[in-house]
Formats: sequence, structure tokens, C-alpha cells
Amino acid sequence: MFKHMLAAAVLAASLSAETVLAQSITIAIGSEPSTLDPQLRDDGGERQVNDNIYETLLARTPEGELVPSLAAEMPKQVDDLTWEFNLRQGVSFHNGEPFNADAVVYSVKRVIDPKNNSEQLAYFGTIAGAEKVDDDTVRITTTGPDPILPSRMYWMKMVAPKHAEEGDLAAQPAGTGPYRFVSWNRGADLTLEANPDHWDGAPEIDQVTYRFVTEPGTRLSGLMAGEFDVITNLLPEFTASVPKFAAVSGLETSVFVLGTDNEVTSDPRVREALNLAIDREAMAESLFLGYATVAKGHHVNPRAFGYNDQLQSYPYDPERAKALIEEAGATGKTIGVYGESGRWLKDREQIEAVAAYWREIGLAPEVHIEEFSQYLDTLMGDGPRPDAIFIANSNELLDADREASFIYHKDGPAASNSDAEMAEMIDKARVTTDTEARRSLYHDVFKKGHDLSYTVPLFNLHDIYGMSERMEWQPRVDAKLMVKEMSVTE
Amino acid sequence: MGSFILRRLWQGLLVVLGVTLTVFVVTRVFGDPVSLMLPLTATAEQRAAFAHEIGLDRPLLVQFLGFMRDLVALDFGNSLWQRRPAIEVVFERLPNTLLLIVAGLGFAILASIPLGIIAALRPGGIVDRLTVSLGLIGLSMPQFWVGLLFIVIFAVQLKLLPTSGMGTPAHLILPALTLGLTPLARLTLLVRSSMIDELNQQYIKAARAKGLGLSRILGVHALRNVLISFLTLTGWELISILAGYTVVVETVFAWPGLGLTAMQAIQRGDLFLMQAIVFSIAFLIVLINIALDIAFKMIDPRINLN
Repeated sequence: MFKHMLAAAVLAASLSAETVLAQSITIAIGSEPSTLDPQLRDDGGERQVNDNIYETLLARTPEGELVPSLAAEMPKQVDDLTWEFNLRQGVSFHNGEPFNADAVVYSVKRVIDPKNNSEQLAYFGTIAGAEKVDDDTVRITTTGPDPILPSRMYWMKMVAPKHAEEGDLAAQPAGTGPYRFVSWNRGADLTLEANPDHWDGAPEIDQVTYRFVTEPGTRLSGLMAGEFDVITNLLPEFTASVPKFAAVSGLETSVFVLGTDNEVTSDPRVREALNLAIDREAMAESLFLGYATVAKGHHVNPRAFGYNDQLQSYPYDPERAKALIEEAGATGKTIGVYGESGRWLKDREQIEAVAAYWREIGLAPEVHIEEFSQYLDTLMGDGPRPDAIFIANSNELLDADREASFIYHKDGPAASNSDAEMAEMIDKARVTTDTEARRSLYHDVFKKGHDLSYTVPLFNLHDIYGMSERMEWQPRVDAKLMVKEMSVTE
Repeated sequence: MGSFILRRLWQGLLVVLGVTLTVFVVTRVFGDPVSLMLPLTATAEQRAAFAHEIGLDRPLLVQFLGFMRDLVALDFGNSLWQRRPAIEVVFERLPNTLLLIVAGLGFAILASIPLGIIAALRPGGIVDRLTVSLGLIGLSMPQFWVGLLFIVIFAVQLKLLPTSGMGTPAHLILPALTLGLTPLARLTLLVRSSMIDELNQQYIKAARAKGLGLSRILGVHALRNVLISFLTLTGWELISILAGYTVVVETVFAWPGLGLTAMQAIQRGDLFLMQAIVFSIAFLIVLINIALDIAFKMIDPRINLN
């Protein structure tokens, strides 16, 4: 029996040398898409599939640079509130509908329609509407000046109007992308096939099957057993045991936000000491086996617009930290350290390691690991601000407005300071459409945040993917699983 | 019998209602479902708008009345996470979980009776000691670990079975074994000890003296008396598995069951789906309890159901 199979395999291999072999791969992702409607949910599983079916006006290169996709070129800003996009011509949706200005206008209006209650409004909240100029030109308007609009259009997937109205968008997706929907056995798997008519040429891999495996150990086993070709979120300690892996700096940066109005942490000397106390290099090595980059003095994603590359990471200087704590008269004082467990890579380990470093310099940290919804309430609720709270901040749009508005702006949901001057700078940066002026505003904001130690930035975390021997793929900085960028050697 | 079933159904309905209402209150009072659903970037206005769309900004009492009205029509609303009717999700996933339970617990039941009887025939003998030791090991091994161990041995090393997922009967073997291991150990130990007790009873001695064959004594006379406690424990196993013990196995083996779905619904703050799941499970458990009572009566007519 085995011999026969072997013979058959050899035969198949020799045949494939002459005929074109249909190449199919299997990718194991952590969660099943909740729906295949690309405009409703903020769902990683849905994106991992739909990123291959649908496209956006702008895209990013694997390194994170914004480039035209369904737009023929980068948008022109007509006035403070209006951006004009020229569209790529001759593109059609998988169901045959043409991609044109009407489709863009429909897609924009659908996602911002309050009736649809889209969770993605968090990304598109500034968009007021869209109007058609001619068949290949669309103007998108914003409620206020919005320099991030191009990045937003990298996030908004374009749907086919007729299909969205009459078809079943949640179960039968039809986009313009390099892969077409084939089937979805809920709970089990989901299959896509190459779109031979894609405007950018047919992709190399003919068929891709997604499997949904929550447990990282099971994903690893499936890879080792040869069932999967790509698995997501490989733990650093497993890199040694997989056939192949690839790591790339990801979207998340871990950080502690400090309560600058709280009793102990209101003293800048204490906050500086909290930063100097931590041996980040040692943590990156021991917790992440080197698959984490020490954040440089602020927690903005290094690929994001507005990242201040002049800042240096806080040095590890426990002696000076101890001296600062004594000088501030904070020795033996309690600080509350808040966090959660299991949501982000090694979250609990990071929190506990940092608390241990803080204990070394004479403080008495009290660690509270909270259940996630309770944690969210501590992070963003109306209650008193915690002395220090952990978060792995993700920056999907790769624009520093995310970190600035969320954590540094005094009215931001997760902010723990009351710095009106800084809030003013951030407000200004948010509406400044001049690129250089905006960049320099952000540089000043993060410099100030660094000098006053508003946060304790830790690491830019890496995304690690496990791969089978035959896979060839360089993962992207925006964590998108683009099958068209993958290939297999056989 | 009929009035008994009716009365139990009525009591069961109260239990189901009580459980569902507890979930209703707990999900709304503790934690904020909206902040779990929306990305962290969402602004306060967006959160408020979202809460308004799903009706969470109304007073709790108003929400409660609406909930009760829909409950009468068995309408649980749309799952926030899956954006489709919550009950549809339940009906899609429940059969997968039931299949897993039937396979796992079925295996445990079928294997535990012969194993327990063989061990009981010679208490203290080698087979008995082996059964007891293995049973204790089975009871003390965490399911999570056993599942991963099975995967590594049977799927990664021996490549006999798939690592995870659902589809062919081969996919069912490892998760069912993992799920059935603890009940198997517990049931075997129970059959063994009750059987030892029974075999020392006077009526067994009398039956033997009368010259009845061993298989008839064991299979008809002793087993019937063991069966009541066996069934009680089996029912308890079934209920505890249904009430959440499949979560671990479903997670490890990526089995698309209701346990895994419930877990994800909790993580995502999907209160409508949670309500539908808890209601369905509570309803099933009530039915199982009634069925067990009837089965007791059939095995031992002396039991008074009233």
C-alpha cells in the first residue's frame, strides 16, 4: 500500500514538472470571521480573509508605504475638506459589476450610514460623504480638515453596490481583489481561489483554505503535522521547533500610561525613575527571545507617520532611579499597577517583570490583573486614573494621531494627564494638512511626552508566522495576510 | 406519570427563566459590552451611538420588558459579534457539541461497565489494582494537557489522525477520547466499588447457591442495582459537560462547538448570543433531568416520583 502511494507521489511529482501544478495552501488563523461583510465589524479574522477578496482605494507596500490601489494615483487635496481620487479604469467586481465612481460613493456612504452601525466608524468617523465627479473621479469630503484621510482610505473596502443591495454580502462576498470566494463551511474552513482576471495579474497561488484554530499549541501541531502552510501568532519560544518562520515588527507597542495627577506619580522625578528602572534589553531577550524592539522613548509605532526618530530609549540606570525616588521622597510608597492577561502577547509577564523592577528601586507596586471588561473600564472609564496601566497599543492606520489622541491628549479615552498645552498641539496636528508642519508638531508632542515621562514605553512587538518548508513569504509590517504576496516552491 | 412530567416541566421553566435573567442582569451591570465590541480607538460619541443602536442606553427595566416580550416569541435578537440571529448560531453549533458529547460520553459509558466489573471480580488482584491506578491517573490529568499530548502523539508523531478541526469521523476520535477520559475514570471506579458491594450481598450468595451462572448474576441481578448510582453519575457528567466542560476540548481541537462559541461570545461582550446559549443549555439540562427521573423509575419501580 505504502509503496503504491510512494509510486503515485513520484509519478505526480514528475508530471508536475511538465504540467502546471495547481498550487493550494492552507493558512491557520486564530479566529473564524464572524461575517464576510467587509464593512461592519472590527474583526481580525474577517480582515485576514477579506483583505484578499476586497480592495481599497489606497494600499500599503509590505514596508508600510501608502500607494495607489483601486485609485489610479495618490489623491489630490482640493480644499481643506475635500479630497479627489482618480480611479483605476477597467476594474470589475467578481460578480461582473464594474468598479467605478458609483461603487466608491456607495461604499463610503454604506459604511458611514448610522443605520448599519458599523464598528469601523472608529476609523471613518471624520468622513462626511462622497460625490461622483465623473465615472472615474470621486470626491470624498470630511467633517473637518483631516490629514489622515488617505490612511483611512487604505482601510475602507470597496463593495459592489448591486450585490450589497440584493445579494448576501455576509456570506457571499464579491470584491475586486486577487482572490474570489469559493466556499465557507462555518466552523470548519473557508476557501478562496485565484481571480485570473485581477487587474494586477493573476496571483501565483491558485487556492487558499483558511482553518480556524484558537489554541496556539494546536496551530503549531498542525504545522508540524504538515496540515498547515502558514500559522499566525507563533510564540517566540516555538521558533526553534518549526520548519520555517518569519518575523516582522508589528502594529502593537506595549506601554504603561502613568497617572500624572496621582499622588506619587505626579512627580516627574518618580516617572523618570519608573522608566530608568527597567532593563528593557534583558526583557526583550528573556520574554521575547529578541522578537521585540525596545521602544525609543515613546510608544508610537516606528512605521507610523509622526514617529520621532530623534528620541532615544530610556537607559537602564537603577542607581539613578533609586536616587530619584529617594529625592522625591517616594521610597516605600505604593503605586497601583493595572493590567489584564491573555489579550496581548506576554502581557502578564511584562506587567509582572516591570513591577519587579519597580520594587527594586524602592517603590511598593501593587499589581492588579483584571478581567478584560473590568480592565477596559479602568483604562477608559470615568473612575480615578490608575498610577500605571498597561496596554499594547495597536496602530492600524500607521499614523501617530492614534497614539497622540488616545493616550497623550488629556481628553483621550486612555489618557492619564491634564496637560492642556499638549492637547492643543495634538488638536492642531489633527487638522494640519501640511505634511511637514504636522510631522514637526508630532515630534514636539512626543518629545514633551518623553521628557516629562508621561508613559513608560516598552516594546514594539514582532509578529511571528510559522511556515511549512515550501512556503516563500515575507510578512508585512501592517500584519495583513496577503496571499498574492506568497509563493510555494515544490 | 403525565402530571409528574408536566410539573417538572413547569419547575424547569422557572429554572430556565431564573438562569436567563441572571445572565441578562450580569452582562449589563458588570462590564460594558460596547467597549468590548468596539475598537479601542472609538470615540465616546461613537460608543454612545453604538449603545443606542443596540438599545443599551435605555433604562434596565425597559430593556428587561423588551427582552421578556421577545423571549415569549423565542426571539433572542441578533448576535452582535456574528451579525445574524443569535438562535441561528446556537442551532448551528449545538449539534457539533452534542456529537462530541455523545461520542465521548458514549465511549466512557460503554467502556466503564466491563472495566469496572472485571476489576470488581477480584478486588486487590492485578487487574483491579491496574484499573484503580489508571483511573486515578485519568482523573488527575488536566484535559487541556491530555488533548495536546494526544495531538503530539497521534497527529504530529504517528500522523494517524488530524490535529484539529471537524469533518471526517477521524476528526472526532481525539477530541472524543479527551472528553471521555475523565468520565471513563470516574464511572469505572464507581462501577467497581458498587459492584464489589453488591457481590457481597446475601442475595448474590443465594443466587450462587441456587446455581445461577456468573454472567446472569452479574449482568441481570447485580448490574441492575449498580445501575441507579451509575445513571446518577452519568447524568451528572452529562450535565457538567454540557454546562461548560466541552470548552477546553473544543478550544484545543478547534472543534466548532457551542462551548467554544460561548467562550468567544463572552470575550467579545456579545450579550445577545450569550443569552441565547445560556437559555438553550439550561433548557436542555432541564430536559435531561426529567429524562433521568423517568429512567430511574423504569429501573427501580420502588422509586416514588412524587
